[in-house]
Parts: sequence; C-alpha cells; structure tokens
Amino acid sequence: MLFKLAWGNVRRAGRDYLVYLLTLTLAVTVFYAFNTISVQVDIAGVGAQNPGMGETLGGIISGLTVFLAFVMGFLMVYANNFIMKRRKKEFGLYQVLGMSRGQVARVMTLETVFVSLAALVLGVALGLVLSQLMVFFTASLFKTQISNFRFFISPSALFMTVGCLVAIFLVTLVFNLRVVARARVIDLMSAGRQNETIKARNPWVSAAIFVLGLAAIIVAYVRLLHDGLPYDGQPEAMQAFLITTLIVVVGTILFFFGLSGFLLKALQGARGLYWRGLNMVTIRQLAAKVNTVSFSMAIIAMILFLAITSVTTGMSLASVMNSTVERGTPVDYTTSVMYYSQAIADEWNADPTISGGEGGVTFAAPTEPVDLMAMSANQTLNADTPDAQPFDLASIAGSYVQVDAYDSTPRGASKPLVTLKDLCDAVDMPLPAGTESSDVDSLGLQVISASNYNDYLAFRGMETLDMPADGYTLLSDMGETVNRVYDAVLKQGVELDLGGFKLHPVQDHVNADASVFVNSMMGMNSGTLVVPDAVLAALDLPPYTSYLLVNYAAGANDPESDAYIAAPRRYNDVIDAAGNIVGGWGAEATRSTTYESVNSMNGLISYLAIYIGFVLVVACAAILTIQQLSGVSDAGKNYRILSELGTSTRQISHSVLSQQTIFFIFPVVVGIAHSVVALSVIVDLIELFGGLTIAGMVSFTALIFLISYGGYFCVTYLMSKGIVRDAIRARHAA
Amino acid sequence: MGKHSAPNPQVAAPVAPTAPATFAHAGGAAAAQQPVLDVRHIEKVYGSRNNVTRALADVSFTVMRGEFVGIMGASGSGKSTLLNCVSTIDAVTSGNVLVNGADVTAMKSAKLTRFRREQLGFIFQDSNLLDTLTARENIALPLTISRVPAREVLMRVEAVAQRLSIKEVLDKYPYQMSGGQQQRVAAARALVTDPAIIMADEPTGALDSKNARLLLECFETMNRDYQATVLMVTHDSFAASYTHRVLFIRDGRIFTELRRGTSTRQEFFERIMEVVAMMGGEGSDAL
Ligand SMILES: Nc1ncnc2c1ncn2[C@@H]1O[C@H](COP(=O)(O)OP(=O)(O)O)[C@@H](O)[C@H]1O
Ligand SMILES: [Mg+2]
Repeated sequence: MLFKLAWGNVRRAGRDYLVYLLTLTLAVTVFYAFNTISVQVDIAGVGAQNPGMGETLGGIISGLTVFLAFVMGFLMVYANNFIMKRRKKEFGLYQVLGMSRGQVARVMTLETVFVSLAALVLGVALGLVLSQLMVFFTASLFKTQISNFRFFISPSALFMTVGCLVAIFLVTLVFNLRVVARARVIDLMSAGRQNETIKARNPWVSAAIFVLGLAAIIVAYVRLLHDGLPYDGQPEAMQAFLITTLIVVVGTILFFFGLSGFLLKALQGARGLYWRGLNMVTIRQLAAKVNTVSFSMAIIAMILFLAITSVTTGMSLASVMNSTVERGTPVDYTTSVMYYSQAIADEWNADPTISGGEGGVTFAAPTEPVDLMAMSANQTLNADTPDAQPFDLASIAGSYVQVDAYDSTPRGASKPLVTLKDLCDAVDMPLPAGTESSDVDSLGLQVISASNYNDYLAFRGMETLDMPADGYTLLSDMGETVNRVYDAVLKQGVELDLGGFKLHPVQDHVNADASVFVNSMMGMNSGTLVVPDAVLAALDLPPYTSYLLVNYAAGANDPESDAYIAAPRRYNDVIDAAGNIVGGWGAEATRSTTYESVNSMNGLISYLAIYIGFVLVVACAAILTIQQLSGVSDAGKNYRILSELGTSTRQISHSVLSQQTIFFIFPVVVGIAHSVVALSVIVDLIELFGGLTIAGMVSFTALIFLISYGGYFCVTYLMSKGIVRDAIRARHAA
Repeated sequence: MGKHSAPNPQVAAPVAPTAPATFAHAGGAAAAQQPVLDVRHIEKVYGSRNNVTRALADVSFTVMRGEFVGIMGASGSGKSTLLNCVSTIDAVTSGNVLVNGADVTAMKSAKLTRFRREQLGFIFQDSNLLDTLTARENIALPLTISRVPAREVLMRVEAVAQRLSIKEVLDKYPYQMSGGQQQRVAAARALVTDPAIIMADEPTGALDSKNARLLLECFETMNRDYQATVLMVTHDSFAASYTHRVLFIRDGRIFTELRRGTSTRQEFFERIMEVVAMMGGEGSDAL
C-alpha cells in the first residue's frame, strides 16, 4: 500500500524529481567514468610508458571523488529540500487523513529509494558507455596509442560510486525525515506560497546595494592588479590579499543582491521599454525571486570563477611544459653531481648518525670538480643480483661535455659576490614575481668559466663566445620575467665588480637556448654567470654543481641506450682522490623520459582540471535549474492569469526565457570577469616558467563546459515551458 | 479587428450623480441592435466514457450592447462552466458562441488569444491579480500586452482608476490591498481595454457586504458611464439585484429569466428571491 503510494508520488511529482534524478544520474555517470581511470590508463597504453601512472592517477581521482561527493551531496540535499518544501502541505494532508508519522516517513524513504535506485542504474549504464569512450580521450590527453581496446567494467570504480551514492542517499534521507517530522497539520492551513517572498525590496535601496557591490568588485580588481598574488607569504601581503578576497566576495554578494532592483530602476527609467509587452512582468518576476536566489547566484558566480581559473591555470601550466620541453631537452641524457659545501661537510662529519662515527665515512668540500664520466663507473647496474656489473656510461656515450659550475660565495666568505637582487637593483627593476622570497639576498648565481662554456657551446654545435679579460655574460633558461632582468643587465652594460675585477657584458641579451644544462620539462637554470678563466681562478670559488651532457653513440633517442639508462642501478657516493665523499648524484634524465613525463604531467593536470571543473559546473547549473523550475511553478498562477488576459503562450515563454537567461548568464559573466582579472595576475607567475598559452585544450574544455551549462539552460527552459503550459491549461474555476 | 465605436475611457463624460438604488435602465433600448453576445444551443460534457458529467445542456441566450446581465444558480449548476465557455477559456462540446457576430467556437488558438485580449474582460472570485505587480501595472497589463504606447497606457490607467475610486492604491501590491480593493483593481483591469463584454464569476463571493456593495456600484458605473456590457455570475440575490436581467440556471439548463424593467433595485431583489425560493430553496443558501 505504502509502496504504491510512494511510487505514485514519484510519478506525480515527476517534474520535481526529474531534475533531481537528472543531476544524480549525471553525478553517478561522472563518478564512475572518472574512477575507472586506472583501467583506462592501462588500455590507453599510458602504463607501458609510465609504470605506476595508473595507480597514481587512480589514487588522486578517488581522493578527489570523495571531495566532490561532498559537493554533490550538498547539491542533492539542496535539490531535495526544494522538492520537500513544496510537499510539506502534502505530508500534512496525509496526517490529517489519519496516516501516522511513521507511515509518512516510510513513504518518504521509499520515494528516495526509488529515485536513488533509478539514478544508480541509469548512471552506471551511462558511466559504462562514457568510460569506454573516455579511453580514447585519455589516450589523446596522454599522447599514447591504444594498445588493445576491450570492453571493461571496473569493480573498484563501481564500489566507489555506490559508496558515494549510498552516502548521499543517507544524508538526503535524514533531511527528508526531518521535514516529515516537522510537517504539522498547521502547514495545511497556511497553504500556498507565503507572501513574504513577494515583498519586493525598495528598488532604490536595491539599486544602491548593486552600485555598492559593483564598486567593491572594481576596488578588489584594482587592488589585485596592483598588489599581485602573495607569492612570498609575507604577512602584510597575505593580509592585503585576504582583504581583497573578502572585498570581492562581499562585492559579488551585494552585486547579486541588488541586481534585480537595479534592473528594475534602470528599465523603469526607460518608460517606453518598461510599459511594453510583458517587460514589466519579466522584471517584476525577477525582482520577486531575488530574495530567495541572489545569494546562491553569488555563490555560483564564485564557484564558476574557481572552476574557470583552476582549469585555465592547470591547462596553461601543462601547455607551458609542452612548449618548453623541446628547448629544455637538448641532448639524449644528462646527469649531475651536487657538491657539498664546507659547512655541510663539517656538520655531517660531526654527526655520528650520518658519518657513522669511528671507522665511518668522511665528508669534504671538493677542491676541484670530479670527472663525472669516470665517476659514473662507480655506480652498479642490477646491484644485489647475480649479474651485478659496473655502470659503463662510456659504452653508450658518443659525444659528451661536462660543465662545472661554482658557487658565487668565495671560500671563507659569507656573502655571494652577485645575486639576482643585486642585478635587479642595478637595472632598477623589481624582483620578478615568484622570486621575492626572504632569502633572495643570500642566494647567489652560479659561475662557470668561459672556456668551459665554449666547450659546451661547441658540443651543442653552437658558435663559441669570444671572452675578453674583463668580459662576462649571463645564462638562464627560465621564462620571461627572470630573463627580462638579465636582458636589461646585459643591454645596459652593467659593470660587475667581482672581488676587484670589473667586468662588462659581451652579449646584449640572454641566449636561453644556449643555457640548458639538464634535460627537464621546464627551465632549471635560473641564473649562471660566465666569467674569464683567469677571473674564476683568482676568485677561489668552491665547486657547486657539475653537469654531464651526453649524446648517444647509437644516435638520438636510441631505445637500447635508453633502456641501458633505465635499468635498475645503485648510485654510489661521489668521492675525491682521497676517498672523501664530496657530493651526491643529482637528477638525471634522458630525452625520452622527459618527453614522456611531460605528456603524463599534461595528461594528469588536464584530467584533474576537467574532472573538477566539470563537476563544479554541473553542480552550479543544476542548482540554477532547480531554482528556476521551482520559481516557474510558483509563478504558475501568474502565467495562467496572463493567458486569461489574452497573452499568447509564445509571449509568456519569451518572458520566462528572458528571466532564465538573466539568471544563467549573470553568474557566468561575473565568474568570467573575476577569472580574467585573476588570470591576468596568475599569468605573471606562469610566465616565470615560459609564458602562458591558451592552448586548444583549454578552448576544448571551455566548449565542453559551455555545452553542459547550456544544456542545463535548455533543459530548464523546455521544462519551464511545459510547466507554464500545464499551469495555463489548468481550469480556473471549479 | 476589435475596433468598435464605444467611447474611450479617457474622454468619457463626467460622472452623473445618480442614486444607484433608484437607477432604472431599460434594457429594451438596445434590443433593436445586433446582440453583442449570441449563445446558441451550447453543450458541455466533462469526463470520458464511464464517468460523464453534462455540465451544460442546450443553453441559448443573447446579450445586447450595454446590458448588465446576471446568471444565478445553485453551486454546481454550471454557472462557471457557462461563463468559461462563453469567455473562450474552455471549449464547448457542441453549439456556437458569437461575439459581435464572430463565432468564437470556430477560432484557432492564436486568433482566440487575440480575440480574448481585445474583446473580453474578466473578473474572478479571487481577484486574479499578478502578485508581483503593483495595481497600476496590473491594470496596465492588458494594454501593454496589446502594445499600446506607454503614454497612452498610463493615461488610460489613471482615467479608469479615477472613475472606480482606486487612485490611492495604484502603487500598492495586491498583498497590501483589501479584498475589495483588489476586486476593484481587477474590475479596472477588465474595463481598461474597453472590451465588448466584461465577464465576472462570483466577483463578490469573497467580499464582506460593504465591499461587495462598493464593487457592485463599480459595475454600475462601468455599465452606465462606459456603456460596458457586463455578464455576472453570482449565487447572491443581492448582487443579482444590481443587474438588468437575471438568467437562472439549474442542472446545466436555463430554468427561467427575470427582467428588471422599470422596477427599483429593492423590488427586483424581492422578485429574484421569489424565483430562488421557487427553485426549491437551492439558491436561498446564497443569501
Ligand atoms: N474540469 C471539470 N471536470 C469534470 N467536471 C467538471 C469540471 N468542472 C466542472 N465540472 C462539473 O460540472 C458541473 C458544473 O460545475 P460549475 O460550472 O463549476 O458549477 P458552478 O455553478 O458552481 O460554478 C459540476 O457538476 C462540476 O462537478
Ligand atoms: Mg463556480
């Protein structure tokens, strides 16, 4: 009996439940599809390139899913509350008719079960289809070939999805039961819509609030553009940033709070427009709804802002990597050694837990750089297995060069001879965004000799540099913001005083291509000073880092050589002639692995950005849809009156469309405006690594978002038309 | 279409101080003209197959220009159904309804919408004002829908509000008005387009006697000063006594008709009460 009643209710309240069902189904579909990532990655052939990528991604995604499940859960509770609010009366009626509160609660529970089950079945079915299609998408994101396509079902993803759905169901149920428990018979008496919601605010006050909000937003924009982001975490900067954030949040809320009042006043000013057709009805309906929805419109604008900003930033970072990886990987293989400073060696020697005390090892600062090619034989291939053997880099190396960089703080001195800050001051430029850390004074540039640099240039097949006895130049492969400073220093011919040597630039700009010492996806050389050999010798600088750049004997990207490098290997200590440990092996990279990790990184970032962005956009759109539909059915009587007065259904639909367009467009417009300003600041940060490019991927994603948001808009409008049609058809009398 | 020669409200003649109780307007003066409304043998059946309600059965009557006609009957007798069929809100099952000679039962929906907008005015038991609009905007609505220029809209609204004594509520929302005021605003809205017929379904049904009287006087003003043709459904004999002619309906059929002729409202009221009593007391609950 209760079962039948519940089923009947779901069917009768179909329209209300439809949006709920739609959103829940979409959530299930997206959850399932994205959580199959580890299987997809396998099929898409990403795993072959990056073992472990699938698990990493899978881990991140399922963590993210829990977070997004909260967002969705909140949304569903909200959607559900809308339905419940409209049905309070009905529950009161059941009680009047003699049903116990427990029975009403059971009807309610059954209804929720029906809808959730339907969403689960539909969602998983769609998710299965979507996840198969997404394999192709994944393959293109990670730039891989699909090895063997097959239909797949991921039990773990299914489990995750069902888990989230059950959680959402339980939360919704708790809320619903509360509504039932509170439904008093009195609700029947105060039937219908409360007139309070109609009470329009004084439009002048509203318009003033709107102007205030707009002003606050503009102030926040100006502040942000002026102050930039607080990269360095300075308390004052952070505080200023927080205030800016607060201003923009408050401004956004005020903006939407006063929006309809402002529109009303503005339109009433244009008499010919206001007193024409249904214009005044449209604007009054908007104004009437403002009490209930202005706050959520503001929230939605902020969420859209977050989604747009994070997706664009993430994808731009990915595309930056793409554009710099070619320049950043000039050779087949690079490796490096980082030397210990005297201070570190002394400290470690004094600490028995590190040095092993009596009979242990000794650390030392090197007197001169070690030969990396020779030292690499110190490493062991397949260590701890029967076929352990020394690593023989020379066997695969064709041409190679070693670059020895020295610390710019001379032995015994406490301050570097030259820092980025010195150079900025010399050309009267601010420190580039992102480098304003507090220890910027103490970080010196690294120094290499002119002859060593010419060896490097010769190896790279580039023209060598004539270095007079008082010459210098600067190297860096970082992005625009840092290089702008170095370019200015070189161009203005800034004289450097290095321990009494007065040096002058021999180039007028930084050659970023000729500044790469290690294979990497992004710039790694943040500043290197090239000085004449005699100057370097006289300055008594300690070795800092040695880089070894190798091209394979068997040709570029030779797979066998790559495999030789990739084989498991033990990195033994770097020792000097006396047997002291003078440094440790730094990062090594082949060109192939760098490219692969760029692709994976790209894939990962894009994947996450799309996933988060998509769910947020859908959540926002769903909230708007639910609000609009409930608004339209609340106004059903008004539309029927209009029809009775001889308004054509087309005119009424047009009015509804105008209202809904305003509701859907304004949050997007505000969100985009916020994003544009924020991104223009973020761009500075990304430029540090090589400039922002709005790549095709970003526009593609934007398109997907627009389609889903627009889809919700269309669904809202079509369903509203249906509601209006029914409201008009309902006979007046009886 | 819809341009007929009734005077424009804004140029209407000043109010003549006439005592409503003694006002006796002869419907016969218009009898020679073509009827504004001609209802021919209409029938209305609700439901399907096993559950049929015959709400109207073979109803015919005519209404002349400038007439104030009442329709009386017990609850469920088919009054609202009749009004809805005549007013094109509902479709008849069979028969014809002619307004100014045009057959509305044959009209397609788009034409019907326009017809309704230009030829008919409505007043219902609940005032049916848009709760989001002020009184001024509510009254203006039928005009703006018909794309009357803004200047003229505002002038006509002012004029009709002046005539129906509701100027002081023009900038209030419905929830800020009394029920009587709401009904008079609804009357102004029905009148402002200068329609061929104004139809009212139990307009006094939700009003106390003082407000009911005010509204009925309003109707008299509309009828006298604007030559508005009014068709009013009521089950209240007092309300019916304000009209020139009363049609009595029972079980979906016209039972009888009563003309006021030259009698005073009090005399007419007594004659109506007699018919109500004769109809089996069904209508007497209305008093
Ligand atoms: N939409 C409808 N569907 C079925 N029957 C209806 C409908 N509207 C009215 N009726 C029936 O038609 C008859 C006349 O109703 P109505 O015209 O509303 O009476 P009243 O004279 O009280 O206004 C009643 O028996 C009523 O039950
Ligand atoms: Mg009725």
